[in-house]
Amino acid sequence: MATAEYVKFVDVTKCDGCRACMVACKNWNDLPAEPEAFQGSVQSHANVTANTWNVLSFIEHENGQGNLEYLFRHSSCFHCTDAACVKVCPEDAMHYTEFGTVDVDSDKCVGCGYCVQNCPFDVVQLATYKDTNGKEYKKAQKCTMCVDRLEEGMQPACVTTCHTDAMEFGTKEEMLKKAEKRLSEIKERFPNAMIYNPEGVGGTHTIYVLAEKPSVYGLPEQPKVPTSAIVWKDYAQPIGKMMLGATSMALVGAFVSNKLFNKEGKDHEEDGGGGHE
Amino acid sequence: MKKSVVSKEYQKLQKEIISLQEQWKTSLDPDRILPRIDKAAMESGVPVVAWTAIDFDIPLFLQWIEDIGKLLANYQPELEKTIETIKGLLDEETAKRWIDEAFAFNHIYFASFAEEQEIDGWIPQFIAETVLRPYLQLTAEKVQGEIQYAVHGAGCPVCGEPVRLAQLEDGGKKVLHCPRCLAHWHDKRITCSHCGNEDHETVHFLTIEGESAAQIQVCEECKGYTKIIDTRQYIVKPTPAMLDLNTIHLDFVAQENGYKSAGETKQTN
Repeated sequence: MATAEYVKFVDVTKCDGCRACMVACKNWNDLPAEPEAFQGSVQSHANVTANTWNVLSFIEHENGQGNLEYLFRHSSCFHCTDAACVKVCPEDAMHYTEFGTVDVDSDKCVGCGYCVQNCPFDVVQLATYKDTNGKEYKKAQKCTMCVDRLEEGMQPACVTTCHTDAMEFGTKEEMLKKAEKRLSEIKERFPNAMIYNPEGVGGTHTIYVLAEKPSVYGLPEQPKVPTSAIVWKDYAQPIGKMMLGATSMALVGAFVSNKLFNKEGKDHEEDGGGGHE
Repeated sequence: MKKSVVSKEYQKLQKEIISLQEQWKTSLDPDRILPRIDKAAMESGVPVVAWTAIDFDIPLFLQWIEDIGKLLANYQPELEKTIETIKGLLDEETAKRWIDEAFAFNHIYFASFAEEQEIDGWIPQFIAETVLRPYLQLTAEKVQGEIQYAVHGAGCPVCGEPVRLAQLEDGGKKVLHCPRCLAHWHDKRITCSHCGNEDHETVHFLTIEGESAAQIQVCEECKGYTKIIDTRQYIVKPTPAMLDLNTIHLDFVAQENGYKSAGETKQTN
């Protein structure tokens, strides 16, 4: 299959909050139910969790005219082009797929949680499992953009189930065009409407047409890969590797010199030993 | 998840054949095909091709056979000799006969042809059918605007191929597709496309675990089946011919469960 760069386009202004995307996700990915306490609104979960990869957020917002807007947003992994989780992962478990999306290789994941700490959108979470001996271990979990479906030429489960066509899936170019067109249509109704495809993370593979500013939806206005992640991965780790190189060289050096000057060293030690008595 | 049981290599070959047919079709002079829409005949289930005057270009037909031969030889070099033999046998008269017999889907003729010439049984009909399709497809293209519905039990309204493949399209509409001539037409969701049975008690669906986009509609009245594929879930819609091939496991499942690709017509009296 010739691989193109695909994008999920979410038009929140078409969403009617039915939550079928959440059900489709649980169903396709075989994720367990999570009993949740009442959140004080219709929203089921406060945020995505390790076993609930997408959550429909319900926001009560007072608009410029003092009217109440009930805003819905399908929230799941953004699949950043320049993903912090991929950057910080020490085991290369977080990786980019051939479709440009971000996925976790559970075999490699050691559950260190760096990705959880560095995700600018608070998407990645750790799931706890128990092995046969009852010992607990953790793995990072998040939306995979149904990569197993993409590999077979099918759209993600959430997209196929959306009955208002609030979600669409296609090539990046086509989806961005659709987003622009939709934005021009809704500008009058929602003056603050915008396309959310943040540059700070190199653009994302889930792009939104938002009716209001990102902060209204609880999204960072300008998300970026945390500086600490850049320092860690781009500077500290390479330097660390270099240092490791230096240490090994020193070891080799020490070994060689020890071999060469073995006799002298030995004499020296014997001398030292004698000195104690 | 894995959607098809067909090997990647065979899929690739089929894709190449389809694109070859597409090229052939565009190279055809459209005026060579003059379809005649006879409403009365269509209503009684006579396929459009039966009323269509097709002026076959025999040299072009032979050229296509050479093209397909070359393509097949890329995959199975030992076929090259057989293709050469066939090319030697195909004079203008035999070529005309091939067209007629391929039209009528006369497998008996092709089987005996193969036997006489001591070549593999599948080759003559496969080649004849492959090179006939561009003509059928161009016919279908020309009359598609007139095709809305088909007569149940009569197969494809353009070429007469038995019905076996439907797609769910925008708004959940069931659209039947002919993998042979690529014509398409509508039908009701809970209706057997073979016998027209609308009784929901006797029209069932077979679903296969792990198949999120495919179902087999079966009819207890005529024992016919139709593969129904929800292509709305696909990123890129495949051509009906590829879709038919890639869902061949559904045909096996349906047939193993006692259903047929052409329903039985019941004696009314």
